[in-house]
Amino acid sequence: MTAVAAARFPSTEESRRTSFVGMVMALASWSMMFGGLFFAYAILRLKAGTWPPDGVAPLPRLLPLANTLVLLFSSYVLHRGVRKEADARPGALLGALKATLALGSVFLVLQLAVWVPLWRSGFRIDSGIYGSIFYGLTVFHALHVLAGLAALLVLVPGARSGRLRSGAQSRVRVSAMFWHFVDAVWVVMFVAVYLL
Amino acid sequence: MADTTHLRRLYAGADFHAEQHIHPEPTSFVSRYVFSMDHKVIAKQFLWYGLAFLALGGTMAMMIRWQIAHPGTAFPVLGELLWPESGGVMPPQAYASFFTMHGTLMIFFAITPILIGAFGNLLIPLMIGARDMAFPTLNMLSFWTNVLAGTAMIVSFFVPMGAAAGGWQSYPTLSTLAGQPGAGQTLWIAGVFLTGSASIMGAVNYITTVVRLRAPGMGYFQMPLSVWGIWLTAILNALFVPVLAAGVLLLFLDRTFGSHFFLAGAAVTKGGGDPILYQHLFWIFGHPEVYILILPAWGIVSDLLSFFSRKPAFGYKATAISMSVITFLSMVVYGHHMFVVGMSPLLSQGFMTLTMLISIPSAVFFLNWLGTMWRGAIRFATPMLFSVGVVFVFGLGGLTGLHLGAISSDIYLHDSYFVVGHFHLTMAASVLLGAFAAIYFWFPKMFGKMMNETLGKWHFWLTIVPITVVFCGMLVVGYGGMQRRLYNTDAYAFLQHLHPVNVWVTRAALFLGASQFLFVVNFLSSLVAGKKASENPWEVGTLEWTVPSPPPHHNFDEIPLVVNGPHEFSHPEVKGKDWLAQNEPIRSETEPAARAAAGS
Amino acid sequence: MHNWPFSWLPPADVSQDGWRADGLFWYTTTLGAIAFTLVVLALAWSAWKYRAGPGARALYTHGTDRKSFAVTGVLAALVFVTIDMNLVRISERDIKEATYEWPTAPDTIRVEVMPQQWAWNFRYAGPDGVFNTADDVVTFNELRVPAGHPVMLNLKAKDVIHSFYLPNFRLKQDANPGTVTRSWFKALKTGDFEIACSQMCGWAHYKMKGDLIVLNDADFSRWMKEAEGDAKRRYDPGDKEQMWGWEWLQ
Ligand code: HEA
Ligand code: HEA
Ligand code: CUA
Ligand SMILES: [Cu+2]
Repeated sequence: MTAVAAARFPSTEESRRTSFVGMVMALASWSMMFGGLFFAYAILRLKAGTWPPDGVAPLPRLLPLANTLVLLFSSYVLHRGVRKEADARPGALLGALKATLALGSVFLVLQLAVWVPLWRSGFRIDSGIYGSIFYGLTVFHALHVLAGLAALLVLVPGARSGRLRSGAQSRVRVSAMFWHFVDAVWVVMFVAVYLL
Repeated sequence: MADTTHLRRLYAGADFHAEQHIHPEPTSFVSRYVFSMDHKVIAKQFLWYGLAFLALGGTMAMMIRWQIAHPGTAFPVLGELLWPESGGVMPPQAYASFFTMHGTLMIFFAITPILIGAFGNLLIPLMIGARDMAFPTLNMLSFWTNVLAGTAMIVSFFVPMGAAAGGWQSYPTLSTLAGQPGAGQTLWIAGVFLTGSASIMGAVNYITTVVRLRAPGMGYFQMPLSVWGIWLTAILNALFVPVLAAGVLLLFLDRTFGSHFFLAGAAVTKGGGDPILYQHLFWIFGHPEVYILILPAWGIVSDLLSFFSRKPAFGYKATAISMSVITFLSMVVYGHHMFVVGMSPLLSQGFMTLTMLISIPSAVFFLNWLGTMWRGAIRFATPMLFSVGVVFVFGLGGLTGLHLGAISSDIYLHDSYFVVGHFHLTMAASVLLGAFAAIYFWFPKMFGKMMNETLGKWHFWLTIVPITVVFCGMLVVGYGGMQRRLYNTDAYAFLQHLHPVNVWVTRAALFLGASQFLFVVNFLSSLVAGKKASENPWEVGTLEWTVPSPPPHHNFDEIPLVVNGPHEFSHPEVKGKDWLAQNEPIRSETEPAARAAAGS
Repeated sequence: MHNWPFSWLPPADVSQDGWRADGLFWYTTTLGAIAFTLVVLALAWSAWKYRAGPGARALYTHGTDRKSFAVTGVLAALVFVTIDMNLVRISERDIKEATYEWPTAPDTIRVEVMPQQWAWNFRYAGPDGVFNTADDVVTFNELRVPAGHPVMLNLKAKDVIHSFYLPNFRLKQDANPGTVTRSWFKALKTGDFEIACSQMCGWAHYKMKGDLIVLNDADFSRWMKEAEGDAKRRYDPGDKEQMWGWEWLQ
C-alpha cells in the first residue's frame, strides 16, 4: 500500500527517504501485531504447564526447517537483485523477482505438505489450544507470504520493460522490505512454534 | 533572530520542491470530493463522518440515561419507533447493546475521526508548511476503510439478535459464541479490525509527514503543540492498535473457526484457553488508547490558551516533553484496569506505582496551562472558553484517576459508576470540549466562514454546566456503590437511595443533549450564511493562518521559511500588532522575500 | 445515616477491612479537592485579572527562566510526594495487612463460589473438610457465614466472567472461567446483606443478585448441622453436574 502512495512522487532521493520512513513505521506497526500473537502464545504456553498439552504428538521439524531455509534463501536472492550494484546488470531485478516468486511458492506448497497430513491425522484448529496456536499463527503468516508474493508480482512487468531496475526505486525497495519482514517473522515463528 | 540569511544558506542544499511539486487540482467530482487525496477535503469528510456518529452515540446516551432514571417507561418518540412490541420500553438486551455500541461508536467513530481524522489531516500539513500528506493515496484509503468499518457497525444493529452486547471491551467468554451467538459481535470485530487498520494507515502517514515534510526552519521544537499532540497520538496508534487487532483476530478465530484461545470453564466442552489473555491484549492497547484520544486535545488546548492569552505558551518545551513522557508511560501502566481479575499482587503493585508516576508530567503541563494565562491579555472568544473548560473538567477527570490508580480504593470502585464518571470527565468532557474548541477555531480556515460567536458562547455555558453535573453525579453514585452496566437498579435494595441522584443526572444529560442543537444550528447556518473569514481572523502566527481561508489546493505557493516559534505574541520589538507569523522575521521591512512568503 | 432516603453514601460497612477503601477514598478526595481548588482559583483569578482590556498587552515570556522551571518542578514534585506517594504507601500497607493476606486461622470458613448466568453457587467442604466430595454442603444464591470469623473464598466461573461484589464489605473479586481466584473477608455484624455481580455477564447481569446471611456462631453451627444432614440425603452419585467443585487453593 505504501508502494502505491510512494509512486505518486518522482523518485528523487528525498521521496525515497520518505517512503522508506513510511515503510519502517508500517513494519514496526506490523511487528506489534505479530508481537501480540506471540505474546498470546507465550501466555497460553506458560499456563498449560506441559507442552505440547493434552498428549498431542509433537510437530514435524524437518519440513519446516527446510522451509525456513527456502525463505532465507529467497531473501538473499531478492536482496542481490535489488541492491544498488544490480543497477548495472540489466535483468538482474527480473531474475531476482522470478526466483523469489518461485521460492515463495515452494514455501507455500511445503506449508500445505505440513498442514494436510496433520489435519488428516485429526490434529485440527479446534482440537485444543495447541492446534489453535499452530494453525492460527502459521496460516496467518502464510497469508502474509501471499501478500508479499502479490507485492513482488506487480513489479514484474516494470522489471521486464526495464522501467524498474533496482531498489533505487521506492516501489521495488518497499516491496522487498516487506518480503524480508515476512521472512524474519517466519524465522521467529519457526523457533517459537516448532523448536521450543 | 531577525536575520534569516544563515537559515537560507542552511537549507539551500535541501530540495524541498522536488518532492512537494504542486499537483494539478483534480477536476472530476469523484476525484475531488469522494476519493479525494487532498488532506483538506479528507479532513472535512472525517469531520462530517465523526459528527454524524457523535449525534448517533449521543442520542443513544440519552436513551441510556432515560432507562436508568425512568425504567419501564418509553423514551419519548424514539421508544415507540424502536420497540413497539414492548410499548416503547427498552428491553434489557437492547440496553446492553446500546451501552456497548455507544462506547464503541463514540471512541472509534466519533472522537477518533473528529480529532485525529479531521484535525490531524487539516493541521499537520498546514502547520508544518507542507503541500499535503506524505502519502495522499494512503490518506484516502484510510478514510474509506473507516467508512467500511462504520458500515459494519451500523449493519450490526439490524442482524438477528442485534448488535454486540458484551461491553465495549467485549471480554470473552461473553463475547465468544458461548455468550454472543449473534452475527452482531462478529460484525463488531470486523468493524474494530477495519477501523484499526484505518487508524494505522493514518498514523503511518502522520508520523512520516511530520518527520519528513517540515518546512525549512521548522524544527521539532518550532512545531505547534497541536502537531506535537497529534504526532504522539499517531505513534501510539501505530504501535498499539495492532495489539488490539491481534486480540480481536484471535477472538474472531474462536468465534468462526472453533479455536480455543479464550475458551475455558465448565460450560464449554473443550477448555484450555485463557479469557484473561484477551484482557491483557485489550488493555495493552486500551490504556494507550485513552491517551490516543486526549493527546490531540491537550496539544490543541495548549496552543489555543497561548493564542487567546496573546502570550507565548508557558514552558513550551516542558509541555512538549511532558506529553512525550506520558506517551511513554502510557505503554507500561495498562494493568491498572485489571486490579480485580486476580493478577499477581506483585504485578498489581508495580502497575499502581507506574500509574501514579503519570501525574507528574500531567501536573507539569497543567501548571504550564495556568502559567500561559497568567499575566496574559486574554480574549474570551468561543474557542478560548472551550479551552478553559477543558482545563477545568480535565482537572476533575484526572484527579479521579488517582482514586482508581490506588489498589485499595479501586477494589471497591472498579466497574462502578465512579469509573464511568472518571472516563467521561476525561473523554466525554475534556476531549469532546477540546473537539468543540478546535471546530470553533479552525472552522474559518476549513470553510472560509466565521461561526456565530453569540451562539457559540451560549453553547459553551449551556454545555459546561450540565456536563459537569452529569459526570460528577456519576462519581457520586459510583462511590455510593452503583455498578456500571445496570439495566435498572430495582434488583438491589442498597441502590434505592441513589435513585434521586440518578434522576438528576439524567435531567442534566437531557439538558446537555438539547443544548448541542445550538452547535448544530450554528455549524450548519454558518456554513451557508456565516460571514466571510479573513486570512487570519484570530490574529495568530502559525503557518495555516498565513494562507487564504480556505487555503488553495497546494496550500503554499512557496514553501515557507520558518523563523519563529508558534507562539510569538506580544513581542516587545513588534509594533502595531501583538503577534508574529512563524515565517515573519521581526524586522520585516529588511526582508521583502519573507514578507511575501508571510503573505502580509 | 446511610439509610437516610436522600443520602448518597455507600451502604453501611459491616466488615473488618472495609474502612480501608473508604479511608483511602476520602484521603484521595480531600487532597484532590485541595489541588483542584488551587487550580480553579488560579484559573478564575487569571481569567478575571488578565482579561484583555483596551490596549492590554501580555507579558512577553516563554516561562523558560530558572524561576519558572523551579516553581513548576517544585509544585509537580509536591503533588507527587504529597498525593501519589501517600496513596501508594497506604495501598501497600492495606495489601500487606489485608487484601492479599489470606487468613490461615483454624476458624477460617472456606467456601467455593461458582457464579453462572445468572446465579451464585456456593460449596462448603462439609465434615471431611475436603471439597467436591459426597458430604459437601451446596447452597444456591445464598451464602451463610458466621460473624467474627474470616471467610476465605475460592472463585471460578462456570460460563462467563462474573464479579463477586459485597457493597457492605467494600469487596470485589472477579470470578473467571478456567482459573481459580481468591478473596476473603470478615463480617463484624450479623444480618442480611446483598451479593451483587459487578462484571457485565449478559443481558440479566443487572439482576444477578445473591444474599449474604451473617449469623452468630450458634445459629451458624445449627444451620451447618442441618445442611450437612440433608447434603447426605440429597447426594446423587449419578449426577455429574453436582460435582462442580475443585481442589481447594489456599
Ligand atoms: C481521555 C481518556 C482518559 C484519560 C486522560 C485518563 C487518565 C487517567 N486515568 Fe483513566 N480511564 C479512561 C480514560 C482516561 N483516563 C477510560 C476510558 C477508562 C475505563 C475503561 C473501561 O473500563 O471501560 C479509564 C479507567 C481508568 C482506570 C481503571 C479503573 C477501573 O476499571 O477499576 C484507572 C486506574 O488506575 C485510571 C487511571 C487514570 C489515571 C491515573 C489517569 C491520569 O492520566 C490522570 C493524570 C491527571 C491528573 C493527575 C490531574 C491533572 C493534574 C492536576 C490537576 C495538577 C495537580 C494539582 C496541582 C499541580 C496544584 N483510569
Ligand atoms: C469519547 C467517548 C464518549 C462520549 C463522548 C460519551 C458521551 C456520553 N456518555 Fe458515554 N460511554 C463511553 C464513551 C463516551 N460517552 C464509553 C466507552 C462507555 C462504556 C461502555 C461500556 O460500558 O461498555 C460509556 C458508557 C456510558 C454510560 C454507562 C452505561 C452503563 O454502564 O450502563 C452512560 C450512562 O449514563 C453514558 C452516558 C453518556 C452521556 C450522557 C454522554 C454525553 O456527553 C453525550 C452528549 C453528546 C450528545 C448529545 C451529542 C450531540 C450531537 C452533536 C454535537 C453532533 C452534531 C451533529 C452534526 C453537526 C451533524 N455513557
Ligand atoms: Cu454476573 Cu454480571
Ligand atoms: Cu488506563
